[in-house]
Amino acid sequence: MSAPAKIKTDAPPASIAEDFAEALRLGAFSIIALLLAALLFSGVIGPLFALGSVEETVTDVLSRLALVALPFVAYIAAASVARRCAWTDTPRALGLAFASSLTLFLLISAGHYALDYGVFAPRPSLQMSLSQTADGLRVDALEPGGAADSAGIHVGDVITAIRRDPVDMAAFNLRLSQSEADAPLRLRFLRAGEEMQQTARVVIVSDKQLSALLPGLAVALVFTAVIVFLPGRWAPYIALVGLLTPLLIGYIWVIIATFSFRTEGLIPLDGQDNFGGLTLENWEAIFVGNIAGLEFNIVPILLTSLAIAIIMTLVVLLVSSMAGYALSRMDFPGRRFFLSFTLILHGFPAITLLIPIFIVLLRLGNIPLIGDLIGFNTAGGIALVMVAFQLPLGVWLMKGFFDNIPWDMERSALIDGASRWRAYWQILLPQIRPGLLALGIFAFIGGWNAYIIPATYSIGSGVSNLPVFLNELIDETAPVDWNQVAAVGLFQLIPIFIFFIFAQEYLLNIYAGGAKGSS
Amino acid sequence: MKVFIDQLTKKFGDVIGVEDLTLHIDDGEFVAFLGPSGCGKTTTLLTLAGIYKPTEGEIRFDERVVNRVPPKDRNIGMVFQSYALYPHMTVFQNIAYPLKLKKVAKAVQHERVEQVATTMGIGNLLDRRPGQLSGGQQQRVALGRALVKEPDILLFDEPLSNLDARLRLTMRGEIKHLQKDLGITSIYVTHDQVEAMTMADRIAVMNGGHLQAFDAPDELYSRPKTQFVAGFVGNPPMNFLSVEVSQAEGRYVAQAAGLRLEIGRERGERPASHAGAVVMGIRPEDIQISEDGTVAGEIYIVEPLGREDLIDVRVGRHSFLLLASTETQHHAGERVKLSFDMEKAQFFDPQTEKSLLWRQ
Repeated sequence: MSAPAKIKTDAPPASIAEDFAEALRLGAFSIIALLLAALLFSGVIGPLFALGSVEETVTDVLSRLALVALPFVAYIAAASVARRCAWTDTPRALGLAFASSLTLFLLISAGHYALDYGVFAPRPSLQMSLSQTADGLRVDALEPGGAADSAGIHVGDVITAIRRDPVDMAAFNLRLSQSEADAPLRLRFLRAGEEMQQTARVVIVSDKQLSALLPGLAVALVFTAVIVFLPGRWAPYIALVGLLTPLLIGYIWVIIATFSFRTEGLIPLDGQDNFGGLTLENWEAIFVGNIAGLEFNIVPILLTSLAIAIIMTLVVLLVSSMAGYALSRMDFPGRRFFLSFTLILHGFPAITLLIPIFIVLLRLGNIPLIGDLIGFNTAGGIALVMVAFQLPLGVWLMKGFFDNIPWDMERSALIDGASRWRAYWQILLPQIRPGLLALGIFAFIGGWNAYIIPATYSIGSGVSNLPVFLNELIDETAPVDWNQVAAVGLFQLIPIFIFFIFAQEYLLNIYAGGAKGSS
Repeated sequence: MKVFIDQLTKKFGDVIGVEDLTLHIDDGEFVAFLGPSGCGKTTTLLTLAGIYKPTEGEIRFDERVVNRVPPKDRNIGMVFQSYALYPHMTVFQNIAYPLKLKKVAKAVQHERVEQVATTMGIGNLLDRRPGQLSGGQQQRVALGRALVKEPDILLFDEPLSNLDARLRLTMRGEIKHLQKDLGITSIYVTHDQVEAMTMADRIAVMNGGHLQAFDAPDELYSRPKTQFVAGFVGNPPMNFLSVEVSQAEGRYVAQAAGLRLEIGRERGERPASHAGAVVMGIRPEDIQISEDGTVAGEIYIVEPLGREDLIDVRVGRHSFLLLASTETQHHAGERVKLSFDMEKAQFFDPQTEKSLLWRQ
């Protein structure tokens, strides 16, 4: 008999020591990788930009982000080993995770200690300890010969303000941490009921207290435990929510602000800085036509906005679809040139054309009859210019949609007895309805939100649309009431919301080609 | 309605679609345009439909020259390979569309659509949209739409090639039956020679933009006038080989390496008078494996087709495809003797590729 073939069975479960070693290895790799990344941004890419005299802070931010993320990535890497048995052998998983994250935490902290970084970094200080009392910050202890001591502060003094700004503990620490070495801080304080002030100069101390590690340790352990038991399919959502939060907060602020007297962050406040102060006044002001003393009538502004958007939508749809049809279906001299030319036009920066068009519109305005329709200071003129800028995109988009319709469909219509015009109108246009709708919405939104062109070609006239009005609101009311500006902004968004709610299915279709063939 | 195509040429820039095509189609005739892809058959059809304008030449429907007549004034019906139904309309609206364009009264529209739909067996589908129909049903709708306006000429552009084999067989019969019933002059473009052979009264074989032959199916089959027609019509295709035909003592003999075949006088006379080698063509069914065969060969491969076996026999450096009954089992490598039915053999001039037997 030949030697029995060695059949590889399932690997025996790794011992705890092996798992621990693997977790540490993964953690160490992540630390090295992120250190290298930070080095790459701050040491290589940053200097390269600097060589070209490019002022930027992105590389610096990225480098610091890498360092902030470093411990967390290391914990995740280490916890990934423990996750394997998170639900089968929970105590083992927890033990493994805590042991490895603790080890990594100590490793990172040792690095911080050696390099004077993180919690061990030298920080600005006035060399005294404070406690919050009802009157202010009471000085509990002073370092003899320290910054506060030499400024003449005594134990028992109650600090109420830095310069003229009243401070509590958080504000004081914030102010302090933002100060540079030797910066003067003029402290107002009460000594035996008497108000006094002294200027202390900030010193940079490096005291390296180990107790500063405790919050970090707690974070490490909790974070690791969460990672070990987090269902894997939640991860993308958590990442997305994390990334979206800043955006969402912006929208939420706008909505809250329009309904409140004033806001502190996302919290609506009333006149006495108490929670509350919810009001409809911001909205009422739009319709009454008086915002912070600026009197206006919203109806003509709204109508101008609507006129520009609707004219633009109709003209863009009509011209684009007809031009797209011709470019897709007909062969005529200059077709290729026209196609490439429109593409160049699409890429042409509109801003550079503002002044030439200004002159054109002025001259157009001098023509009788037509001038009143599409000249300078008319909604028609503004729409005309906007249409011109929107058309290249529209023509290309429509050409693409027509290209997708089989030739046979059109031939069939012609043979059935339709004229070419009728085939276009009755047979081809219905096939590209999703494209028309999408382009129409783009055009409408473009017209509705237009600012630069309406602002340029309606100077000093009553013709102003909502975005231009919004800008006037910020310019001409002092002080600016941001809550009312937010209300006008949200008011402007309403038609867009309505459009999207009804049309999102079609809008999404624009990238799916649109035409649903019969075969 | 009669259709006259005279010296029709259609060019797209420098590319030739069809060149110098002359074809006369009788009233009520079913004509197939047969040829490989890119041979100009669809170009000709679309020129007949009025989608393309002829570059040169003339097209007449009866006595009326239609070169410049737009499609809508030609009163033709057309069925496309892709069916070209209008996806945003119901079946009813699709079929009624030609009537609507003709401004036929609503009530009449209803009546005619119902009638056509019943004929086509799609009367129960009128409320559906094309996307909800199977390929065969869509095909019937397309046919119904072509028929509803009672056209003078029906055009088919490979209408069955998107259907599965079984459905194709059924539809083939139905279309032919319908055409005979209605007596509408019909032109049917296809690259499938079985479709052309089974359906058409006459077949126009085209290649490279030129008309190769225009004849009844059995004529094309038994008296091909060019080598292309001989090779294209018939499945499995005809065997071709280069032979020398000579005459000695009143007997005609075709010779090639390892091959010596006697021909009757009627067939042999013309090829024998041709100087040098000629191309001999012989169909697979005209070669038999038999004990008293005169040609020895070896079976190279056997392809069972069910009803019979398709056998590739090597004779010297020649290869012959032949059909043998499945009663006798043959296998690759077997040595066999072949007998040729030389009364069915065809001979072609190798230069002009024209038949030496049948003058055009």
